[in-house]
Amino acid sequence: MQSMKLQHGMERELCLSVCVIQLWMESATRKLQGDTRAASLLQLKGEGGGLVVLLHDAASRETRKRSSERPAHRGDRGIIIMSAIRKQLSFQILLLFISCRNINTKTLGATAPPLDPTAPLQKLERSYVLKGDSHTEKVELLNPVSLVLMCTWTGSQNKPTNITGFWSKDGKEIENSRVTVQLENKQYNLKRTFSIASEADLGSYSCDFGGEAKINFVLAVPQMGDERDKPIVSYLGDSVVVPCKLDDSKPTPNTWNWYRANETGKEQIIAGQKFSIKNDEKKTKLVIHDLTADDSGLYYCGAVYGVGITMGRVELKVISFFEPLKPFIAILVEVIILVAAILLYEKSRSKKDYTAAGHLGKITDQRRALR
Amino acid sequence: MTKNKPKAEGQRDEAEGQDGGWGWVLVGALFVSTSLVFGLMRSLGIFFVEFVQYFEESAQAISWISSTGLAAQQFFSPLGAALCNAYDARVVVMTGGCLAGLGLILASQATCLVHLYLTMGVISGLGWGLVFTPMVATVMANFTRRRALALGLGFSSIGLSSFAFNPLFQLLVEVFAWRGALLILGGLSLNIVPCGALIRPKRRSKSPEKINSESKPRASILHRVSSHLELSLLFERPYITYTLAVTLLNVGYFVPYFHLVAHSRQAGFSEYQAAFVMSAAGATDILGRVASGWFSDLGHFRLLHLLSIWTTLAGVFIMLLPVSSLSGSYPALMVISLLYGFCSGALTSLVFAVVPMIVGVARVMGALGLLQLIESGAGLLGAPLSGFLKDVTGNYIASFMVAGSFLILGTLTMATLPHYFSCKDPPPPQRPSPEDKDKSLQSEVEPSVTERSVI
Repeated sequence: MQSMKLQHGMERELCLSVCVIQLWMESATRKLQGDTRAASLLQLKGEGGGLVVLLHDAASRETRKRSSERPAHRGDRGIIIMSAIRKQLSFQILLLFISCRNINTKTLGATAPPLDPTAPLQKLERSYVLKGDSHTEKVELLNPVSLVLMCTWTGSQNKPTNITGFWSKDGKEIENSRVTVQLENKQYNLKRTFSIASEADLGSYSCDFGGEAKINFVLAVPQMGDERDKPIVSYLGDSVVVPCKLDDSKPTPNTWNWYRANETGKEQIIAGQKFSIKNDEKKTKLVIHDLTADDSGLYYCGAVYGVGITMGRVELKVISFFEPLKPFIAILVEVIILVAAILLYEKSRSKKDYTAAGHLGKITDQRRALR
Repeated sequence: MTKNKPKAEGQRDEAEGQDGGWGWVLVGALFVSTSLVFGLMRSLGIFFVEFVQYFEESAQAISWISSTGLAAQQFFSPLGAALCNAYDARVVVMTGGCLAGLGLILASQATCLVHLYLTMGVISGLGWGLVFTPMVATVMANFTRRRALALGLGFSSIGLSSFAFNPLFQLLVEVFAWRGALLILGGLSLNIVPCGALIRPKRRSKSPEKINSESKPRASILHRVSSHLELSLLFERPYITYTLAVTLLNVGYFVPYFHLVAHSRQAGFSEYQAAFVMSAAGATDILGRVASGWFSDLGHFRLLHLLSIWTTLAGVFIMLLPVSSLSGSYPALMVISLLYGFCSGALTSLVFAVVPMIVGVARVMGALGLLQLIESGAGLLGAPLSGFLKDVTGNYIASFMVAGSFLILGTLTMATLPHYFSCKDPPPPQRPSPEDKDKSLQSEVEPSVTERSVI
């Protein structure tokens, strides 16, 4: 959009300067022919009021210059040249007239909107009929719109004919929004058009009926679903995939951005050797390679819509491999102790069997010997 | 694990296990090791979400990890059985425990999906295969009258540990990420080693016949291997019939586990309702295992008959599941699921207990190994078949009907076992040997002997 403005500006300057030259030449010829009135009548139609004066001045200056410069040759040579030039010029001027006029009406408007000037803002209407004291209505916006908010109030017990209504944004009253509302069909109506173009225009808009009733319209981009409250865990030197996803019911964003939280706020992550970003409509993944302890912290994924960015939050925790190693070694020790205990128990029992058998053998031997 | 004082010393006869004493310790060992094998396998789903995100692979590629693990466990079962026959069951189970733990520990260092297939799939699967069959066979060898109850108690751990492991694994993944969680799981799996240590070392080798065959000159390795693997069983009609029946059973058995939740969602119930139905079925599954084990040991009916009853009922209830949910009534679905859970648990504890009746206690080890191997094919067939039926017909009714019918088909196959319709168990076939001096047994054993000699 910036570049387009620049183009228009340059073209405009160029075109106008060419226009000036051509028109000067035309008026100069007219002047030479003694047609001063035609020369002064040559003016650009449109809103370039100042320009007309300029051209007029330029034309008159030049004719004066001309008349002072070459008084001797004014005669025949002038006439031959002028007639040839005149035909050429009039044709060219006609062309330039048309193109210049177009450019002028385009660019010399009032405040230029920051968006694509060729597309008018989409119109959106939201209304609510209030029966009680107050109400809050959520409005989800994706792209810049021209939003018409209509509030209707059925009134309280006593219904005065006129009450003062006003609009406010984020709690602060909007200037020049106070109007007197008439009672029509036992209802009060307030209506206002807002141009929502960027994230600053989002917020809470309220229509207030004389301080007695209020309807809040909360304008926001579609919010991220429930966030994962547990941190994602990964190991030093490993790579990790940090996912973010929008609910299926929400619309697809234009793109996704990833941010890293640091002391001053959020800093956008650029894909490179360490980070790779994979976007897939309503899902996005940030892949971080070669993790270090510094990579722990908060990461934000932003779904970019035309009118704003909605943020989701994910926490990453990087731990060393010694963390799970501790319970593992504890279990290993427990296993070894159990096995050793079982084997020892069995050895002691088999020894007892052996000695018992030995004793039994001895007793039977003794018995045999006794017989 | 409790350590009971062993009963009074004296001769310990290990041919037919006496109930009680050390047997219950082994039941405890079976409980722990089964939970660490199958309970762990069932709860691996929690890691899959993490794997999909980290490795950026499709869910199907990730699900191959657990398929590989299960397939490896079943494939290496005969190997585990053979090694137990050749060497000591204790050493085999302890080695299996170490391998299972090692697989998971190595998996925590994986950098690509293939690493996970090899470590969590093959190595851990090999470990699990060396653990499960020997433990089950050892417990069965230690019990005669209380066999089904012992197995029921041991297998009840699968359901209980699924309840316990799901939140535990979730916690581990949240605190340590999947790498640390796998490392800790590897450590937990090493607890199988003390379970294996509880198995009494063999006092005497499997049977004198082995020594005879070994002493024969040029008794080829092939002969020894086939006797350890009990490949001769593959030629016996009762065993083949029973294996076929169990295989048919397995085709339909797992279908509700895969599809019940999805089917309930499709029938219009909410996510929570569907998940609750599944949990309730799991709870009655545990109850069914223990109850059927206790009841069958009372001895009123033959184990085979009870197994047939439970299998038929489970098949019928599977077929009724879509009917009840389509009627739209949540209580009906709940009741049928509870009944299905009970019956499917009940039949699990009997499936293995019947094997010694058919092949004799001495050959249980090899029989179980081969059974696991052959029934693995059914598991591979069942899930894709039901998925295919769902894709073709658009809903789960056809899959459930087919699954139920497979179970009933399994029962009918079991009915073709010899002596099926007699009220008393036929005496378990003894391994025909010249030392058999019992004439009364011999007369009944002769048909089987002649069968073998024909072959």
